[in-house]
Amino acid sequence: MTDAAPPRRARLELLVRRDGEESGFELHTVGSAAAWVKMRPQRVAAEHFELAEVTSRVDRQRSFILKNTQTERFLMLSEPERFLWDQMDGRASVQDIATAYVLRFGQFDFDLIPGLIKKLQRAQLLSLTPASRLRYTLARHRERRLLRAAETALTALEHINISSRRVQPFFRALYRGGGLMLFTPVALVCCLLLAVVGAAAGVRLWREADVAAGFGANPLLAILTVKLLFILTLAAHQIVHGLALVHYGRRVREFGFTFLHGFVPTFYVDVTDIFMASRRARVVTAVSGTLVHLVLGALWFLVALRASNGGFVQAFAAASGMLQWQAFVVALYPFCFVEMDGYHVLVDVLGVPTLKHDALAYVKSLVLGAPAPTGSRRQAGLWIGYVALSVVSVIAFIAFNAWIIIHAISS
Amino acid sequence: MVAAAEIATFLKGVRLFREFSANELLAFAARLDERNLKEGQVLFREGDPGEEMFVVRTGAAIISKVVSGRVEQVLARAAAGDFFGEMSLFDRSPRSATIQAETDVALLVLDRDNLNLLIEVNPRAAAAFFHSLVYVFIGRLRASGELVAEITRWGLEATGLDMESR
Repeated sequence: MTDAAPPRRARLELLVRRDGEESGFELHTVGSAAAWVKMRPQRVAAEHFELAEVTSRVDRQRSFILKNTQTERFLMLSEPERFLWDQMDGRASVQDIATAYVLRFGQFDFDLIPGLIKKLQRAQLLSLTPASRLRYTLARHRERRLLRAAETALTALEHINISSRRVQPFFRALYRGGGLMLFTPVALVCCLLLAVVGAAAGVRLWREADVAAGFGANPLLAILTVKLLFILTLAAHQIVHGLALVHYGRRVREFGFTFLHGFVPTFYVDVTDIFMASRRARVVTAVSGTLVHLVLGALWFLVALRASNGGFVQAFAAASGMLQWQAFVVALYPFCFVEMDGYHVLVDVLGVPTLKHDALAYVKSLVLGAPAPTGSRRQAGLWIGYVALSVVSVIAFIAFNAWIIIHAISS
Repeated sequence: MVAAAEIATFLKGVRLFREFSANELLAFAARLDERNLKEGQVLFREGDPGEEMFVVRTGAAIISKVVSGRVEQVLARAAAGDFFGEMSLFDRSPRSATIQAETDVALLVLDRDNLNLLIEVNPRAAAAFFHSLVYVFIGRLRASGELVAEITRWGLEATGLDMESR
């Protein structure tokens, strides 16, 4: 007897009419939960709703009445729903909102957010926009043939999704078959030792070896090969995230490969179940995946050091090592405008899930002289600090890469 | 204005009229009206009254149904040779979906008077028409079942209630 084939990924095609236009509309394809959690719920403009607080005289329980001033419809919101409503500003994704909810209330209700979104949509108080600003911009300018072609190509790529939701037994077997060793103090010490040895190897390579010469006449082809191999190692990164989930007794809900926003090839693992675990578990899950790049980078540097000087193997290994360590830094360093593992750890620790969005909105308002989002002095300091550190870090990262390229060419 | 002969030639390729003889098609084509839509133009909206069905001659139209507010679910696309609007023609109920031109669209219009005339004047052709209609309805019924399954799957995934992997 064999299992039935798993259900294919479901998609909905939605037509969203533009405000105030008779014939204007946009088409959106929403593909299952993976895409749904990236949607950014946008409540109606402030002048189109009113919110009033009512407190029960019996149990002192607070609730809220939300009124759509255009349709004269009323909705009753509980305190958690009011909190979610405040988050639905069009910048935070459903995933961000879920994180904020967990941090605020210490629990997660799978039905609450979809239920509230549905209720608000029925009351014409909310719309959902795609997470990718590039896709959003393309969709808004679909009348231009070139942009329409770009959007069609991205949509086609985005539909490529190889995934499975029956991965928990695989991860459990992998954990029992040796994966559990990764979450021991010995593994951590080995990882740090390897990093030190790898760094020493990298410094020696930098000083003594003629790495760039190894790529010979086809440097572009060689770099592309290094990149392709790197993409495969992203699978290992995600697998370690999955093993961390098993380590903390949680369930891996999905593992697969897709093109993020239609153009970034990436492996992914659904780790949402870790919300049910402790903060320590969430931090370990986030950090453990990035350590894969630290270890692989160190190993590549050691391979490069042992390879013949000026040869292709040395150049390939050194470039791979450099790429792995850059990936490690980008994934773990939170101040670079990229929402990766380190950023998620930071917002978890700070308890500010929409830090990047809030910080950018605040600084933009300061630069343009527009009304700034309201917040305490501490929040304002955090927002300015985040943007300033990120700008400096990105400039430093670009400068470092430019310096390496110039050094390689000149030597 | 497109000549009846040209319309008859087009209709010969449409499933609903496949059993019509050349003369029957010519006579039938002469009674059909034409309507053109510009890209984005709405032909009718869900809930509007309706007494006509439409056959798409060129272009493509989106058939959608309101989900909430400004958001509608795309049920299907009607391309050349497809038809829609027959439900209101038969049961006189308001339109069940909105039709909007995705590109410039040319339509052929069949109203109730012309349908009754067809039944009266040419029962054989009318029987062939209804026979084909039943086959198309069966296909649409199956597609509706698929759509329900698709939406249920989507809902289960979106709400995290995917029993399959538990």
